[in-house]
Amino acid sequence: MPHDTNSMYGRRRVLGGLITAGTFAAAGCIGTDDPAGNGGNGNGDGNGNGGNGNGDGNGNGGNGDGNGNGGTEMAGSIDGWGWDIAARSLQLTAEAYEEEHDASVTVEEFGRSAMKDDLQTRLASGSGAPDVAMLEMVDGHSYIDTGSLTDLSGHIEDAGVYDDFVPGVWEALSTEDAIYALPWDIGPTAVYYRRDVYDEHGLDADSIETWDDVLEEGQKLPDDVYMLNLPPGDLAGVWRYQFRQLGNNPFTDDGAVNIHDEDSVTIARTMKELHDAGVASMLEGWSSAWFGAYESGEIASLPSAAWMEGTLRAELPDTAGDWGVYKIPAFESGGPRASNWGGSSLMIPAQIEEPERNRGWDYIQWSLATEEMQMLMFDEFGLFPALETTYENEAFDEELDFFGGQPARRVFADVAQEIPDYRFSVDTPEVSNAINTEFERMLRDDLDPEEAVMAAAETVAERTDRELA
Amino acid sequence: MREQRRKDAVWRFLTYTFVLAATVVMLVPLYWMIVAASLPQELFIEFPPRLYPGTSFFDNFAALQERSNFVRSIGNSVFIAVVYTIISILLCSMAGFAFAKYEFRFKEPIFYVILATLVLPIQLLVIPLFLMMSQIGWTDTFRAIILPWLANPIGIFLMRQNMQSIPDALLESARMDGATEFQLFYRIALPAMRSSVAALAIILFLFQWDLFLYPLVILEDSANYTIPVALAGLEGSQRVYFDQIMVATSLAIIPLAILFLFLQKQFVSGILAGSLKE
Repeated sequence: MPHDTNSMYGRRRVLGGLITAGTFAAAGCIGTDDPAGNGGNGNGDGNGNGGNGNGDGNGNGGNGDGNGNGGTEMAGSIDGWGWDIAARSLQLTAEAYEEEHDASVTVEEFGRSAMKDDLQTRLASGSGAPDVAMLEMVDGHSYIDTGSLTDLSGHIEDAGVYDDFVPGVWEALSTEDAIYALPWDIGPTAVYYRRDVYDEHGLDADSIETWDDVLEEGQKLPDDVYMLNLPPGDLAGVWRYQFRQLGNNPFTDDGAVNIHDEDSVTIARTMKELHDAGVASMLEGWSSAWFGAYESGEIASLPSAAWMEGTLRAELPDTAGDWGVYKIPAFESGGPRASNWGGSSLMIPAQIEEPERNRGWDYIQWSLATEEMQMLMFDEFGLFPALETTYENEAFDEELDFFGGQPARRVFADVAQEIPDYRFSVDTPEVSNAINTEFERMLRDDLDPEEAVMAAAETVAERTDRELA
Repeated sequence: MREQRRKDAVWRFLTYTFVLAATVVMLVPLYWMIVAASLPQELFIEFPPRLYPGTSFFDNFAALQERSNFVRSIGNSVFIAVVYTIISILLCSMAGFAFAKYEFRFKEPIFYVILATLVLPIQLLVIPLFLMMSQIGWTDTFRAIILPWLANPIGIFLMRQNMQSIPDALLESARMDGATEFQLFYRIALPAMRSSVAALAIILFLFQWDLFLYPLVILEDSANYTIPVALAGLEGSQRVYFDQIMVATSLAIIPLAILFLFLQKQFVSGILAGSLKE
């Protein structure tokens, strides 16, 4: 969950957040689900808590009066793990949850890789894991494949929340017949651009629809100003959002390597054209030089995702008002312009006993499947909701000073609904490594795009013992 | 004669130049760490970087201390490392003494089995150790961090090699004078090993000081965190508070530096001891 917080941004919107949250409390009753009503489901299967029968129909919507203490199977206290602002947003929703329910939720904040190390050890050893934990979508399948997560599909079905989320997120969290986590936030993509730089050199953001347009407009810039940056250490990140944009997947349904597909060649060729035309710089992403170039306007546009807003506000406060966003360019006129970069979810480890599991799910549902809580986290920490039902909220139409008055969040909300499915797997890191290596060689040593893509595919096939599609 | 002297001078000049260059290469990151610790985050990400210290060290430290009680973590690390080092030195020297100076059945095989455990990476041991500790209810305790590593194979090996240089005749005559076996170890062998013990102290202290994955898994309450675990907690997802991390790492090297300065002389001769005295 690559996000960022910024106290100014957060604080400034707290008030607004509380007000909208208030509105939602009312709206929620009419809308999809009443969080309180689901909380007290009498949990029909009070008897056998032997195995981890997940699909069990816990008598949903029984008493409707709310407080979770109605069900005998609900634990009184649970703990959750997350990192950074994700953990802090969980603390927010936990406070709200505790006010409405007779239960306590303790959220612990970790460092990102520290939490992964600790959590994986505890999952592998079958004991000591938290009741609820954050799971990045990119890691989804590597965790699912170890069999250490609880199948939540029964709960999700009973709560009837499946369709409330944007459709493109489920693939990363489920197998054919089970769902292991509830989506939290996502990273709909868009291009951030410096309005002032575009204006100064006569570039027209509205006319950009395809990567060819980017190339054409970019050539209007002087030699020492770049249209965009291709980070040498994360060309795979660029490749991945573009491959997903084209609705493609790194592996076919039978598991064959598919990264040498025609779409992949198109992406490679486009990248190389931008590079060879001198339109793209090659600075390491997140480096001080990189931040500096965006601060000074030396690089005019930044293809990224919704969470980048928080980083820009925090790190480059002097550029406030100079930014704008447009959807990422298509590869051909009229082609798809939506993709996703990043995102996370909440899961429950398989080792968690039934009372904690029920309480954990209740808390997860409260935090992620209610508009009120999702908007609270969005307002306070900029976590872009995966909960599609929130997009009707007027907060998305607010004209933001940071973007020179553009209602930028509407752009992201529109993109979010179009995000294609994407299949991450345990071999995702192999794909990233191979793409990074070969694409960097392609740009630096002037290799042929077809050859670069093919070489990457062969490397992945060899390392993961898969066939080429 | 003069020719020789000139040659020596040139040679010495080259040596010192090389050593000096190597020292600079090693010191630059340390220098940058200290500079960065004293800069506010805005200046840290500035490019080109600023190369002289700023004045924000204490502000950064205050922010760090507010986020994670780092002073407490330093205390935890020092406590764990000191206790571990003392007990482990004692155990390793006793084992080393036994392997060097006593004859018993299966002595060689046992020694090689102990040496063989060197090939087991810590990552492999973490899960079984975590299970064991949670079953006996030791999670989140310092003793769980200290105990499993006390019998350190490198330490046993080092002490055995060095103890072999103690003349058997010396031990024999002490026995004649009525010394108990423990007195042989404590009064004669151990004092003779002062420089090896100093070297071992640094090795063991450093081992425990740097231990990360295992304490990360065992320790739960952040008040119990050791320095590496607390440092890992400072890493967010995007926003990395480099200023605070630099303050933390600057502070984290101080106890090590003190220890090394203190034992430096013995350390070098202790490491060389086994190879010279045979």
